[in-house]
Amino acid sequence: MITLLLSTELKNLWREKLIACVVVISCACASIAFFSGFNHSQQQHQVIQQAKIEQAMAIDKAAAGLEKRLSTTKDVKWWQDQYDLRGQAFYLMVNYASKPPLPTSPIATGQSDVLPYFFKMLIKEKQHIVHQYDYQHPLKLMLGQFDLSFVIIYILPLLIIAVCFNALSQERQHGQLRLMLLQGANIKTLINMQILLRAILVVGPFLLISVLLLITQQIGITISQIAAYVLIVISYTIFWLAISVWVISKGNTVANNAAKLMTIWLAFVIVLPAAINTSINQLYPTPSRLHYLDELRHSSDEAKKTAEKTLAAFFQDHPELANQNKPADFALKKIASINAIEKSMVSLDQEFEQAKKTQQIFADSFKFLSPATLAQAQLVSLAGNDLLRHHAFMKNVEQHHNALQVFFSREIAKANENNDFSPCAGCSAHATLKNLNTIPQFSDKFSTEATSLWGILALLIISLGIWLYSQKQIVRIAEPQQAGVLV
Amino acid sequence: MLTLALKKEWVDAKRQGQLTWLLGIAALLLLVACLSSWQSHSRYVADQQAVSQSERARWLNQGDKGPHSAAHYGTYVMKPTSSLALLDAGLQDYQGNVIRLEAHVRNNALFRPIQDTLSVARFGQLSPAFVLQVLLPLFVILVGYGLVATEREQGTLKQLLAMGISPARLFFTKTFMLFTITSVLLIPVALCILVFNTLELRTGLFFGVYLIYVFIWCLLTTAISSLANTARKALIILLSLWAFTSLLLPKLAISYATAVHPVISGQAFQSRIESDVYTQEREQAIAKFKQQTLAHYKVSTTAELPFNWGGAQLQFGEQYADKKFDLLFSERNSQLKSQSNSYQQLGILSPFIALQTLSMGLAATDFTHHLHFSAAAEKQRRLIQETLNFNQRDNANKTTGHYKAGIELWQRIPKFNYQHPTFSSLYQQYIPSFLNLFVWLVGLTLLCAFTLKKLKLEEQR
Repeated sequence: MITLLLSTELKNLWREKLIACVVVISCACASIAFFSGFNHSQQQHQVIQQAKIEQAMAIDKAAAGLEKRLSTTKDVKWWQDQYDLRGQAFYLMVNYASKPPLPTSPIATGQSDVLPYFFKMLIKEKQHIVHQYDYQHPLKLMLGQFDLSFVIIYILPLLIIAVCFNALSQERQHGQLRLMLLQGANIKTLINMQILLRAILVVGPFLLISVLLLITQQIGITISQIAAYVLIVISYTIFWLAISVWVISKGNTVANNAAKLMTIWLAFVIVLPAAINTSINQLYPTPSRLHYLDELRHSSDEAKKTAEKTLAAFFQDHPELANQNKPADFALKKIASINAIEKSMVSLDQEFEQAKKTQQIFADSFKFLSPATLAQAQLVSLAGNDLLRHHAFMKNVEQHHNALQVFFSREIAKANENNDFSPCAGCSAHATLKNLNTIPQFSDKFSTEATSLWGILALLIISLGIWLYSQKQIVRIAEPQQAGVLV
Repeated sequence: MLTLALKKEWVDAKRQGQLTWLLGIAALLLLVACLSSWQSHSRYVADQQAVSQSERARWLNQGDKGPHSAAHYGTYVMKPTSSLALLDAGLQDYQGNVIRLEAHVRNNALFRPIQDTLSVARFGQLSPAFVLQVLLPLFVILVGYGLVATEREQGTLKQLLAMGISPARLFFTKTFMLFTITSVLLIPVALCILVFNTLELRTGLFFGVYLIYVFIWCLLTTAISSLANTARKALIILLSLWAFTSLLLPKLAISYATAVHPVISGQAFQSRIESDVYTQEREQAIAKFKQQTLAHYKVSTTAELPFNWGGAQLQFGEQYADKKFDLLFSERNSQLKSQSNSYQQLGILSPFIALQTLSMGLAATDFTHHLHFSAAAEKQRRLIQETLNFNQRDNANKTTGHYKAGIELWQRIPKFNYQHPTFSSLYQQYIPSFLNLFVWLVGLTLLCAFTLKKLKLEEQR
C-alpha cells in the first residue's frame, strides 16, 4: 500500500511544475549561498595572509638594512627609525593580531563581517586599537550575507510551506481522500509520507550540495562538524514540517493553510526575532559609546595633568623599570600614561562587558521563542563566527597588547639606562632594536568550547511533540470521510 | 461605489475576522516600532549634543601649549541625526558616527553601534522603516489577495459584471479600497512627520514615496488577484513576489554590487596610506620646498627666515599628505559609490530597493550623507591644521621653535556645526530610484490594462 501511495504521490508531484521549480531553487540557493559565504571567509583569509606577509617582510627588511643603519652618520629621526624602540613602539611597528576564519565559516557569517578580525598593534591605549574595523559598504552589513544560514533560516521554510501546504487538503477537496481511505490507506501514513517525500525533495538537494561543497572546498572540516550542520538543518526542517502537519490537521481549506503557514513563518522568522532584538536593545541597552569617548578623553587629560603621579604609580606597579639615578625617558612616561588611561577605563569597559553579558543571557533565554533565533545561534556558533569565539580572540589580543607593553617598557628602560637614546660619536642615535624578531608575536591558536547542540535537540523534541499531537488531530479529518463511506 | 465596496469588504472581513486582527497586529507592531525608535533617537540626540559640547569645552580649555601639540591633542566631531531618522535610521548603526580630527592622519568614522550588538541583531530591528518597507506589503497582500479571485471562485464576479459594472470601475474601486485600508498604517508616520519635523521638501517626498510604494503593492495585489484563477494561486504568486523582491533580491543585489566593484581591505588601505604618504618622495618634496623658501627669501638657513620654519614645514607636510589622502580616499569612495549605484539600479527589479534607497536618502541616513559628513569633518580637520600651523609659523621662536598658544588661538577654530545638505543639492544621486518607482508604476499600469482586457473577456463570456 505504501509503495502504491508513494508512486501516486510522486506522479502527482511530477505533474505539478511547482515541485521541479522548488528543487531548482533549492539547488541554486545551496550553491549561491555556499560561494557567497565561502568568498567572505576567503577574503578574510587573504587579508590575514597579507598581514602576515607584511609583518614578515618588515622583519626581513629590517634585518637586511641593519648594517647600513649601523654605519650611517646621517641624522635619523627616531620616529622614522625602524631600529629605534620608540619609533617601533609608537609609529612603525608592523605587528598584527588576527582571527582566522574556521573551515565551517561559510555556513554562517554571523557577526564576522561587522566585528574586527585583525588589529594592527601599536603601543597606544587599547581603546584606540580595539575599535578598528575592516571597511565595507555599510549597506552590505545592514542587508547581511546571502549565506547558507540565510537560506536555511528564511528560504527553506518558505520552500517547505510552498510544497507542503496543500498536502492532504488537495486530496480532500478533490474527493480523492475518501477513495484512498476506502482502499485501506491510513490517513496518518498518507500525510506523513506526503510531507516527508516533499521535504526530501526540497531539503535533500540543498543538504547534498551544501555538504558536498563544504567537504570539497573547505579543507580541515571535520565529520563531527558536518554531522552537527546536518543535524541543525534537519531539526529546523522537522520543525517546519511539524508546523505544516499541525496546520493541515486543522482540516481547513488549502488557501487557509497557506495563509496560516505564511503568518506563522512571518511571526517566527521575521517579527519575533526582530522583536527579541528590539527588546534586548530597549531593556538592556549598552552604555553610550559617545559617553565612553567623553570619559576616555577625560582620563587622557587627567593622566597628562598628573604626569608625575602617573609615572610614580607606574613605577610602583613596575619597580623593575625604575632607575634612581636617571630620569625616565619620555617614551616610558608615555607608556605610563597609556597604562593609567587604560586603568581608568577599566570600570567603563567592564560596564560594556556586563551589558553585553546581560544581553546575551536575555538572548539565550528568549532564543527558544523562535526556531529561527535558535537555529541561527547554533549555526553561527558552529561557523565560529559567534561572540564566544570573538571574546576569546579579544582576550588574546588584550594579552598580546600587554605583552607588547611589557616588552617595550623593559627595553626602553634598559636603553635609557645605557644612554642609547642620546646621540653618539658618528651617529644621531643608537639602534636600540636590532632584531624585530624579538618583538612578541600574536598567536592565533585559541580555542573555544565545542558547539553545544542541546538547543537544537530541544527544538527537535518540540517538533516531534507537535508532530505527534497533530497525528491525533489528523484522525479527525478521516472520521467524516469514513463516516460517509459507512452511510 | 467606493463606499459600497468598502462596506462590502468590511462586512466580509468582519465575518472572517481576518482584517481586524491583521490591522490590529500591524498597528501594534508599528506603534512598538515608533516608540522604540523614538526612545533610541532621543537618547542619541541627547548624547550627541552633550558630548559635542563637552568636546568643544575640552578643546577651548586645553590650556597653554604649542599649536602642534594641540593639533595632536585633536578633537572629535559627532554626526548629528536628522529628525526623519526617527522613522528610518538607515545605515546609522552600520557606519561610525564619530570622527577624530588630528594632525597628519585622516581617520575613518568610529564606534559603529552594530559592533556592540549580538548576532540576533542581524534579524533586524523592529523600526518604523522595517514595518513599512517589509511588513506593510505583506499586510497589503494578506488583505487583498482574494479581492477579485475570491469573487471569481464564489461566482459573484460574473454576477457583478452581468449587473453592468464595468471591469475598470470594479478593478479600480477594489484597488483604491485596498489602498484606503492599508494607508491607515501611514497615519502614524504622518503624525510623526507633523510632530517632529518641519514641513519641507524632504518630509513631503518621504511621505510621498511611501504612499507610492503602498500604491504599487495595492495595484500589484489587485492585478494578480484578478489574473489568478483561485485565491490560493494569487496568494502564492504574491508571496513569492514579496519574498523575491524584499528578501532575496536586496541581498543578491548588494552581493553583486560589491563583487563587481570590490573595495580594498582595511589592512591594504592602511598599508597604502603608510607606503604612499610617508615616503622618501615626501622627504624630497619637503627638502625642495625648503630650498625654494630659502631662495625666495634670499637666505641660506631656516633660522634667517622671517618666520618659524617648523610651522611652515608642518603645513607643507599636511598639504602633501592631504593630496595623497584625497587620492586614496576618493579611490575607495568611488568604488563604494559605484556599489551604491549598482544596488540602486537593481531597484528596477524590486520596489523595495527603490523605496529603501529613497527613504534612507531623504532621512539623511544613507551612505551618500555619511560621505558628506566625512567630507565636512575632513574640511574642519584641514582648517584646524592650517590655523595651528600658520600660527606656529608666525609666532614661534625662529630658532628654537618654542611657543605656547592659548585660548585665543583655540577660539579661532570655529565650532563644527554640521548641517545636513539640502535634498535639492543631492537629488541627482537618487534619480535612478525615482525612475525605478516610476517604471514600476508604468509597468503596473500596463499589467492593469492587460488585467482589464481579461476581465472584459470574462464579462463577454
